[in-house]
Amino acid sequence: MATPKDMLTTWDKVQFGAVLPSFEDPEHKKRSKFHSYNYTVADWRVEKPVFNRELCIDCDYCWVFCPDSCFQVEEVVNKRGKKQAKIVGINYNLCKGCGVCVEVCPTPIKSLLMFPEYVDNEEALKQWPKKD
Amino acid sequence: MKKIGSLKEFACTPDRFQGGHRLCPGCAHSMIVREVVNATDDDLVISTATGCLEVCSAIYPYTSWDVSWIHIGFENAAAAIAGAEAMHKALARKDKLYNDDRRVKFVAFGGDGGTYDIGFQSLSGAVERGHDFLYVCLDNENYANTGGQRSSATPIGAHTSTTPRGRVSYGEKQRKKDLTMIMAAHGCPYVATAIPGSKHWKDLATKAAKAISTVGPTFINALSPCTTEWKFKPEDTVEIADLAVETCAFPLYEIEDGHKLTINYRPKQKLPIEEYLGAQGRFSHLFKPENKWIIEEWQKQVDEYWDYLQRREEAGV
Amino acid sequence: MAERYELKNKEVWDGNMAAAHALRQAQVDVVAAYPITPSTPIVQNYAQFLADGYVDGEFVMVESEHSAMSACVGAAAAGGRVATATSSQGYALMVEVLYQASGMRLPIVMTVVNRALASPLNIHGDQSDLYLGRDAGWIHLIANNPQEAYDLTLCAFRIGEDDRVRLPVTTNQDGFLVSHTAQVVEPLQDEDAYKFVGEYKAKNPMLDTKNPVTYGAQTEEEWHFEHKANQHKALMDSFPVIEEVFKEFEKVSGRKYNLVETYKLDDADVALVLMGSAYETAMLAVDKAREEGIKVGLLMPRVFRPFPYNEVAEKLKGVKAVAALDRSAPMGTTGALYNEVAGALAAKGESAILTNYIYGLGGRDTTVEHILEVIKETNENAKAGKRVTPLQGFINLRGPKLSFN
Repeated sequence: MATPKDMLTTWDKVQFGAVLPSFEDPEHKKRSKFHSYNYTVADWRVEKPVFNRELCIDCDYCWVFCPDSCFQVEEVVNKRGKKQAKIVGINYNLCKGCGVCVEVCPTPIKSLLMFPEYVDNEEALKQWPKKD
Repeated sequence: MKKIGSLKEFACTPDRFQGGHRLCPGCAHSMIVREVVNATDDDLVISTATGCLEVCSAIYPYTSWDVSWIHIGFENAAAAIAGAEAMHKALARKDKLYNDDRRVKFVAFGGDGGTYDIGFQSLSGAVERGHDFLYVCLDNENYANTGGQRSSATPIGAHTSTTPRGRVSYGEKQRKKDLTMIMAAHGCPYVATAIPGSKHWKDLATKAAKAISTVGPTFINALSPCTTEWKFKPEDTVEIADLAVETCAFPLYEIEDGHKLTINYRPKQKLPIEEYLGAQGRFSHLFKPENKWIIEEWQKQVDEYWDYLQRREEAGV
Repeated sequence: MAERYELKNKEVWDGNMAAAHALRQAQVDVVAAYPITPSTPIVQNYAQFLADGYVDGEFVMVESEHSAMSACVGAAAAGGRVATATSSQGYALMVEVLYQASGMRLPIVMTVVNRALASPLNIHGDQSDLYLGRDAGWIHLIANNPQEAYDLTLCAFRIGEDDRVRLPVTTNQDGFLVSHTAQVVEPLQDEDAYKFVGEYKAKNPMLDTKNPVTYGAQTEEEWHFEHKANQHKALMDSFPVIEEVFKEFEKVSGRKYNLVETYKLDDADVALVLMGSAYETAMLAVDKAREEGIKVGLLMPRVFRPFPYNEVAEKLKGVKAVAALDRSAPMGTTGALYNEVAGALAAKGESAILTNYIYGLGGRDTTVEHILEVIKETNENAKAGKRVTPLQGFINLRGPKLSFN
């Protein structure tokens, strides 16, 4: 994605010393407009990973190996009182479609599979391979 | 020191390195960086040498970092972080710290170019002076950012754009420089190798946590398989990392105080080096009959080094 | 808490000691420096102050000048007062980082003891290193003697750290001729000097980790020009701040500095433009020439960058012949001062008969007699109403006369 027009400032309004602040509200971890979290690299993809919540065992391999920090987690507490990360979704703004998550997913029928970009996620879930 | 438990726990860490950067799909740099910066709860100040990571994570007007970060040039990541660490010491002594309630740690990232070659002097100087920082070398065995030229980290027989395979050449002629041992010889309190392999995420995170919390200069040499320059499909990054370890092409070990070596992982079944070399396009020409001797040379060097590590571990040095 | 150093009203210091005391009094947080002749004593004196408890900042003894400036940049971005010192080869080694420092708008102070650039190797004073770094985006102040080296180093902190400037500053002094020549210096007492310099005010400090910032981003075609223009404007806009600081310094010390210094220029037909220790030698030559009836004066840019082209043109108004003396090997063209003065005059639609002299390279002695000769030659041009002497001449060069037209 090219720099959005509203970010393209004039010489008198560029950031001082080209220094970029990460947060506009550090207290509440609200990232600034200068943070790439608010950018998108979605147009890099030709295929995308689709996440199947039913099959996922929350091993979190996809979270740790995703180069683009795409996996959205929710902190839950398990039966033994330990906190663990439950995968709740994929940030498609940041996903480049590299496919590493699919490769590292360990479930016998993978919980993540690549589908062409134009396929609707709901459709993709319907097409999921079944256990023989 | 942050205790690295199960991955389910570790994945609860709020990610300090975000997406939206312009690294290649499947880039191992990002996997390593994410683990390192998330392996501590302390605040971080990071410096990065010019290279893939720097160029892709800070393209004005965007930054991918949730922590303070500085890039000056190609050869001075270590000097930059040394300056920041010295300022921290000075302000602490004068009681002028910005936030008394926060602990700040210092981490420098450099590619193999900015660490093995042009940045070596600055790294050696910063380590010799004993600054309290961690230096992580993101080693993809070439100057990837500028199109894949050879570095002193490029292994024998590799095709790079300045040591290309051709009618009369088989690629890189020199052995890979053993930077890990050189840094251990500097007397760093802690030096280790690491890799983003599927079985080794915890090894990397634990080493990062240990290195960050160790007072003094620490060094982690992380092999970063490069989909673009090593020529494999982006989704295979983690698999290539695994092969590097399973063939002992990249052994995982740590050295404390320069003279106590511990091997962190022994493959149950050491795979032949062809498995590792065959998976990467940059070595494909080695499988031609006239180049087979290079593969034999590779296997010999890997075996010798693996043997050397084991003898050192046994001798307790 | 750093110990107070009891100073006499008049001290006998060479330029290096003067600069070292100024750095000590400014209570610099981090000094990252590497020794090189002839600025080594600055680093050594500072180390002695540290060892005796007069400095409570950090002193990082880096392994090269490139790392010295890099550590300074890292420390300044981290958020505190930073300074260093170097000369010639070391300056040349860190040139890359000079651009990086000024691009990030970090107020670092550097005292440069000007020395010739190799090859051939020479450790003595000339201004080749000053000329090398002139486009790096730093403010340059010129000191002609140890007193000025002391005064201008203190002023440098005030100028660089001002909110309206936020740029790195260099104070220059001639190698050996100023750095190793002891003269009477009237310093300020520690508390007065620190009061003048003031507390460091940080801007975007990396160590304020509650507000993380990214330094050193990459700007491609759609951004670089805007950033460089912005930086250039800051440099050009620093003139009023420099004048303000000089005015304030006069209140504290009784010594007044100006963007441009002149000597007996008001009614002059002939003027010499030069910087550094030779300026004071030239003052004696001017007095002698005036006795002989030549109406000659001197001009010196106290501030070399940003170049005060308006003030230079104004002060040279009405002067018939100007000789610009450059203490650096010109290598293929007229010297930098000649070019700057020519540009300044042209910008104001003024003209004078301009000639260029190269002098003092590698510490070559330049005496009152040598300068008197230059004055007389330049006077010939004034009298003739056109240039009758060579365009570029060489002073005190051994061998057959060398000149270019």
